Amino acid sequence: MKLQKKTKKTKKKEPAVLRPQEAAAVSDPSVSDDGREDEQVVGGASVKRSRPQVEVLEDGVLRPVKLSRGELYKPPTTEELNTLRETESLFHCSLLKMQMEELLKEVVLSERRRRLIDTFVQEVTELLQDVPHTPDTELCDQSWLPKGVKVPFLQVPNIVKGRFHMAPPASVSLVGSYPLGTCTKPHVTVDLAVTMPAEILYPGDALNQRYPRKRALYLAGLAHHLAPQPAIGSLRFSCLHGNRLRPVLLLTPPGKDSSNVTLRLLPCPPPGFFKPTRFHPQRNNIRSRWYTGLSTEDADFKEPPTPHYNSSLLGDLLPLPHLNFLSATAAHCPAFTASVALLKVWLRQRELDQGYGGFSGFLGSMLVAYLLSTHKINNMMSAYQVLRNILHFLASTDLTENGISLSKDSDPAAPSLPEFHSAFQVVFVDPSGHLNLCADMTASTYKQVQQEASLSLQFWDDPTLDGFQVLLMTPKPLIRSYDHVFQLCGLVKLQSTSKKLGLLSELMDHSGNYVLTVLPYLLSLLQRGLGARVHLLTHTLPPTPQWAVNSDPPKHKDQPPLSFGLLLNPEFSATVLERGPPADSPQAEAFRQLWGGRAELRRFQDGEICEAVLWGGKTACEKRLVPREIITHLLELHADIPESCVRYTGGLLDEVIKVRRESCSTGEEDSLQVVQSYDDLSRKLWRLEGLPLSVTSVQGAHPALRYTQVFPPVPFKAEYKCFGKVKKSGFLGLYLLLPLTEKPCPVYITPIKVVCHMEGSGKWPQERMAIRHIKAAFHLRVAELLKKEHNLVCQPSPTHLDVYKDGLVFRVQVAYHREPQILRETISPEGMLCYRDNPEAQRLEWETLHRTYLTSTLHGLQQQHPSFGAVCRLAKRWVGAQLLSGELGDDAVDLLVASLFLQPAPHTSPCSPQVGFLRFLHLLSSYDWKNSPLIVNLNGDLTGADYTEIKNDFVAARSSLPVMFIATPKDKKMSVWTKEGPSVQILQRAIVVAAESLQVLETQLMDPMQQQDFKVAFRPPLDLYDVLIHLNPKQVPLHSQAVDPPRFTYSRGALHNPSLSCKSLPVIDFNPVDRYLAELRAAFGDLALFFCDPYGGLVITVLWKPQAFKPQPFKTAQMNARRVEVIGDEVHTLPNVEAILEDFRVMGAGLVTEVEPRTEKWVI
Amino acid sequence: MAPSTQKHAKQAPLQLPGGFTVVPVQFSQSSTAQHYLYVKEHRVRAEGSSSRPLDRTLFVLNVPPYCSEQCVSALFSDCGAVESVELRERPGPQEHTEPELSQYFRTPRREGFSVAYVVFKKASSVAAAKKLSPATPLVLSTEQQPIRTGIQKWADQYSAALVDTRQLQAAVDAYMLEHDRRKEEAAQREAEAEGADGEGWVKVSRRGHTASRPHSEPANHRALEREKRKRARKELMNFYTWQHRETQREHIAELRRKFEEDKQRIAVLRAQRKFRPY
Repeated sequence: MKLQKKTKKTKKKEPAVLRPQEAAAVSDPSVSDDGREDEQVVGGASVKRSRPQVEVLEDGVLRPVKLSRGELYKPPTTEELNTLRETESLFHCSLLKMQMEELLKEVVLSERRRRLIDTFVQEVTELLQDVPHTPDTELCDQSWLPKGVKVPFLQVPNIVKGRFHMAPPASVSLVGSYPLGTCTKPHVTVDLAVTMPAEILYPGDALNQRYPRKRALYLAGLAHHLAPQPAIGSLRFSCLHGNRLRPVLLLTPPGKDSSNVTLRLLPCPPPGFFKPTRFHPQRNNIRSRWYTGLSTEDADFKEPPTPHYNSSLLGDLLPLPHLNFLSATAAHCPAFTASVALLKVWLRQRELDQGYGGFSGFLGSMLVAYLLSTHKINNMMSAYQVLRNILHFLASTDLTENGISLSKDSDPAAPSLPEFHSAFQVVFVDPSGHLNLCADMTASTYKQVQQEASLSLQFWDDPTLDGFQVLLMTPKPLIRSYDHVFQLCGLVKLQSTSKKLGLLSELMDHSGNYVLTVLPYLLSLLQRGLGARVHLLTHTLPPTPQWAVNSDPPKHKDQPPLSFGLLLNPEFSATVLERGPPADSPQAEAFRQLWGGRAELRRFQDGEICEAVLWGGKTACEKRLVPREIITHLLELHADIPESCVRYTGGLLDEVIKVRRESCSTGEEDSLQVVQSYDDLSRKLWRLEGLPLSVTSVQGAHPALRYTQVFPPVPFKAEYKCFGKVKKSGFLGLYLLLPLTEKPCPVYITPIKVVCHMEGSGKWPQERMAIRHIKAAFHLRVAELLKKEHNLVCQPSPTHLDVYKDGLVFRVQVAYHREPQILRETISPEGMLCYRDNPEAQRLEWETLHRTYLTSTLHGLQQQHPSFGAVCRLAKRWVGAQLLSGELGDDAVDLLVASLFLQPAPHTSPCSPQVGFLRFLHLLSSYDWKNSPLIVNLNGDLTGADYTEIKNDFVAARSSLPVMFIATPKDKKMSVWTKEGPSVQILQRAIVVAAESLQVLETQLMDPMQQQDFKVAFRPPLDLYDVLIHLNPKQVPLHSQAVDPPRFTYSRGALHNPSLSCKSLPVIDFNPVDRYLAELRAAFGDLALFFCDPYGGLVITVLWKPQAFKPQPFKTAQMNARRVEVIGDEVHTLPNVEAILEDFRVMGAGLVTEVEPRTEKWVI
Repeated sequence: MAPSTQKHAKQAPLQLPGGFTVVPVQFSQSSTAQHYLYVKEHRVRAEGSSSRPLDRTLFVLNVPPYCSEQCVSALFSDCGAVESVELRERPGPQEHTEPELSQYFRTPRREGFSVAYVVFKKASSVAAAKKLSPATPLVLSTEQQPIRTGIQKWADQYSAALVDTRQLQAAVDAYMLEHDRRKEEAAQREAEAEGADGEGWVKVSRRGHTASRPHSEPANHRALEREKRKRARKELMNFYTWQHRETQREHIAELRRKFEEDKQRIAVLRAQRKFRPY
């Protein structure tokens, strides 16, 4: 009974994605759906055509399409021909077109929702008509407002002249995206412009925030009126695009529809009430006397311009004219709405459209209108072409330098483009010619848009990429897109920054929002300081706050922290020395001013004496954090922001791969030492004289030789008292150390595999056993020569030769290139020589060919991308910690990480371990392993044609291929790296765990409030396993590498004194845990799965296989570890669990401390 | 532990399919759990080899992984003197062992549960073994013959795996000498067959001059390819009207096939709800 329960549980663990039956259930409704769509497309002939689809969809797996000859060759109709031609000429393939259509179906509003919105708007409009009048009062006297509603405006300074009373709106009309048809899901917002009656406004209200305050009061009055109405679900205040001068009222319908739509009430003045010339960017509308409360005696004092304040007010005047303008444009261009929808999706995936100064959908519509008016696109283009042109325009036009304008007639009163440029960072003038639509955007944000657009175009043109996925379907959150991310917490400090930078007039312009005031200055400061180290410095858009109608608006200091992202330039980002201008040049002063006390004079190798800054950091891991040092230094020096306010997340994850916990190194230096030692060995092998055949190649076949070993081998010197000793006879005559069972298990020494190919020659025997003997003879001979010529300690064996050199152990394996071929030879009955593949040959090929190729290619990749190794090591550390490394091999993980660097779309290649690791988790958890091969284009050897070939082969043979399919240039059809695993269940588990870890890490890295313990992602949940085998740390040689390092460690016989020379062969490759696991898998592999963290894990977890626990009939071949049970007349066998648990203890004598069964799960 | 096993263990020997009897064993005196060996006389008609005489051989299933040949031998020594024990991964006919291989080149036995063929000196011992009491389990690791497991075993394995270079060299030399001798013999036989025999007749074999047909698969393949290419070179493309029509038809068919493929892909993606952008 209980066992049955358990099997159910295991089923539950695997979601639908990879389970055929459930996937079929999901796909069922869409089958009929598809049939319908089919009829639309090709008309009457479709009935037959839809048949293959029904078959295909049953399990959600792609199959090669089979069409009968009749279907393929029947005469085409004109209509069909046109469709086929169009897709061929307009799109890369018809797939893209259909994908876009599907996407649009997902985001446009359904008819039902439109009806809902219309009725809701109707109701609200009617309610607004009977807003009661209130008595006329002073603007400051807000006693008429009831208790339940607060004014949505920060009234600083408090006193302002003017009178106000409530009155019904002059008119209410729909504006914005909804009437235009460009409104998209999710978060549907419908804008309703409420025109305030002219009687409560005065033309002079534009001055000193009088109009914005009246507007806010009016909104509060509306909120009070609407709050008790049953037709309204909830009421909240917010502000338009985060602009605190333009509060809005958010309404939702009551009941379950409340999440479907949000109605935004935007009060606005009657059309033409204010003269637009008042809001020229160089005019002042806030008097500093009023704002500061101090009167200046200086007669020459000129009021500073208030461009941002002006454009906020101007924006309120224009929603209706803008709507009219866009509607007129959209009426001529059929693809207008679809292309704006696509652009909105594109922006949203890049987090560019929400918040203050973002690239909103409205801006997108305006841009399309601009491109139409300048004939960059024409009315007949499809949405796809429009999007392409928009991206091209954005990528190639710098609006921070050359602004654009939609205004046709040159109104002499309207400001000119240079005037706009002097006031704003980004310029895009609206049709009226007075308003800059990009007034709030920072240059950084626009640069980010540009960068994204040019990247997207690049990906779109790449035939090997699925452009649709990359452009429109993949989200790009800040933490996963940028190499380093830092946050400014405690924004209150920015108040003093604005003082220090002398930004009073700008502060007045932003009505006291010091965060927005300071932001552009901080950005330009950091940009100057970082210079060539970064490709791009960007920031998240300050989010739009929302608050309840009965609470005060949030203060500026309550804003969530500002996040900044750095896209590093790997060439310079880790440079320790910053060379400035020569000491006597005029720029030197600016340099000194920028760097303050850190600037010093240095003499360079070319003899010049220059200003320079030297940053700290010796190891690669410290050097990676130089940008952090620069940022904290600059912020502290120039902006009075203390280091404690800067939360820098660039190297937080380095902790888990630190080699020796006390030193600050993540192993790059150790890897380099290994590679250097290997290079020396390989040179020595090449030059050996006296071998019967010459050496043709020496290649590494070990992760340490491509910088991806999680904990690279460190030089080792033996402390003799910890070992036994033995001397074997032979020409070498050296002592071999042995492990002693009563001492702690000795240090684990990884043998570094090196494959040494000997030249092909007729002297090689052509028989498999003889080749093995000859190879053994080679091992002996090489050992003898190395000993004689270079005095290296060697120990040959039939399969390899261990060389102890510079404290490292290399395992040299002699190979003969024809051996796999000879292993494949068989003679057919007719006497013909045939080649039949077999596991032995594959294994040998894998060891001597594939692994060496992989090692040398990835070594090359590391030279191009310095962070490659560290990402691999983090990824492997994670896989190990999650107990998955038994199935998901080291080489496969390396390949997955390599794919992140070779095909980073939609990002750029990662330049820090952290971002690379996050993307690895994302790749693992979100890739469609079932239906697509992961193609890793090592060395760029694969062409577009190869991609198609691989994909077709994959679809044709899907069921017989590994679950996780990775294709490389040398291995297009087999996926040798994932042949052994992971299995479906393990991959599913890996996907789930990766998604979970990614989520935990991202929230922790982005949320400064949370407790910092990112190691959670490296601690596996143990509750789903059936048995836990606890190990004795004394006998676990890698115990010190555990995720949570042990408090005390055992002495394992290693000396750290490199001066002593060691002439005995150390204990190599002796890891009791590995041996124990191998024995367990050999004995109980049919009954259970065993998992263990190879890096110092102290527990082996066991999962019973449900199918092995079903009662089976008595069979001679399947009686291992089973006992007999008689049920009725029949004899059944079941696993002998008690005895197996006892065996766990017996087989691991000395290593196992406790076997802990989770009894409730397995008792039968 | 399930009580039912205990029950049938106390009863008279349980009749299992195939005539097996149950023999419980435990690792040491202090063990609490038992494994069950299933034994019967070895009875395979086809096999008449000398190493597994039919009347004196006991066939044992489910031998735990830590049991060596000596251990099994000691286990059944109570039933009578044991002549030899053969441990195998799975039951089956005797493998043709290669006696000439030295210890360094033999493939090691996989460590797991195994089956044993125990050959007694006397035929009566087999019957005795089948009558072993199921109530008192046999003990595998005794004071006299302790089984080394865990750390100790692995340490032993490690030192045993260290090769004595001189012995290895000797083994290699011996094998290669033998190999050369065999090759020479074969060549000689070949030469004898080729040359004139006593009466002056020469046997004409395929080894004589150029091969008339390819003798290996790749060569065969290459020859076929060559033929094909030759034929293709002679053909004219898009020359006749029907050929032209054919090409056009092929093109449309290709477009259609692609269209179908893409549609299928979309359908699969839609089924997985892959078009929600966020």
